[in-house]
Amino acid sequence: MQLRKVKFEVLRFRPEQDEKPVFESYDVECMEDWVVLDALNAIKDDIDPTLSHRWSCRMGVCGSCGMLVNGRPVLTCAAFVRNYSGTIRVEPLSNFPIVRDLVVELDGFVEKIKSVKPWIIRKLEKDVAEGEYRQSPEQLEEFKQFSMCINCALCYAACPVLANEPEFVGPAAIALGHRYNLDSRDEGNAERFAVLDSHDGVYACSYANECSQVCPKHVDPAMAIQQAKLTDFLQWSHLLPKRSFT
Amino acid sequence: MSAHAAVPQKTRTAPARAPAGFPFSFYRYRNYVAFAATSVFMAIGCVGLLEGLHALGKGPEAWNAWLAEMARPGALALSLVVLAFTLYFVFRFGWVGRKIGAGRVGPVPRPPLPLPVLGVAPVGGFVTLWLILLAILGGVLL
Repeated sequence: MQLRKVKFEVLRFRPEQDEKPVFESYDVECMEDWVVLDALNAIKDDIDPTLSHRWSCRMGVCGSCGMLVNGRPVLTCAAFVRNYSGTIRVEPLSNFPIVRDLVVELDGFVEKIKSVKPWIIRKLEKDVAEGEYRQSPEQLEEFKQFSMCINCALCYAACPVLANEPEFVGPAAIALGHRYNLDSRDEGNAERFAVLDSHDGVYACSYANECSQVCPKHVDPAMAIQQAKLTDFLQWSHLLPKRSFT
Repeated sequence: MSAHAAVPQKTRTAPARAPAGFPFSFYRYRNYVAFAATSVFMAIGCVGLLEGLHALGKGPEAWNAWLAEMARPGALALSLVVLAFTLYFVFRFGWVGRKIGAGRVGPVPRPPLPLPVLGVAPVGGFVTLWLILLAILGGVLL
């Protein structure tokens, strides 16, 4: 297979020695079918073992390897080197503090995901003997796309609101909350809206739509946010009842 | 070693960096900034309209003085800028409308009107009111 020498500029941050992040260059012999993650692994294996980056499944499922490649948030396991010309610049996801090199701190992201209670909430659980909660294909279709999220955080890296307001709940968490609000088996709508219509909730979004553009799983978080706004308005104006048992 | 000393220190992190191209180099971020800026120009426009309504209430002399003030080139230019930003706001709001076709929220029945209609109605009302005000101030209805 043909090899091509590609220059990579990788943002490095070693907290024990770097005052602030700096770019370092690496020339990597890339094979035709390599993705950017392969090149990063080659740098770590053969050139500089101190390079830190996250990855796991290598097939666009786990959501671990999200980074900025030439300024765009992408899963590096799905970004083919052959699709880039010239120097390839790799940086950690924007809008997140950098722990080391290409590794970002995701604590706040995880807390935001948890805050929308992404699980089915019911007033009373049925007895197992009564069988499963049935759902029609139409009911499934209403939220299915929002359940495709892999929590890769690319949408957070792309969001201009988060650049200005780091406390914003953010696209993935709102999409996930909306997914459960749309689920016919769920009764926790009011609990989630305590977060979704808060100061840092859906109304902080002014719809740049970049979250939906960068999503590698074709989820449309921007749609979820706008739908959640409307749902909240309709509930506030009593055109739509709230589902709650609290 | 005390238990307190055994707690590892939090790693020093580098501050979060803004997305590439933020706020002006990438068109979607430019749109975001422009949308935020519409609030400033619409506020200016609203103040101008309130002044006009106040003058209308004070009588013909104040009204004519306000009209003369609004006819000055600077005021006209400002009005055009306000109009442009307001139209952009309406366009953006309408553009969002295509995203809000949610059928329902879980087992809650559908509302009596389609959701996009319900969502667009307040904006439509605002735009209609604004056009009526413009027509009045432009002398069409007077």
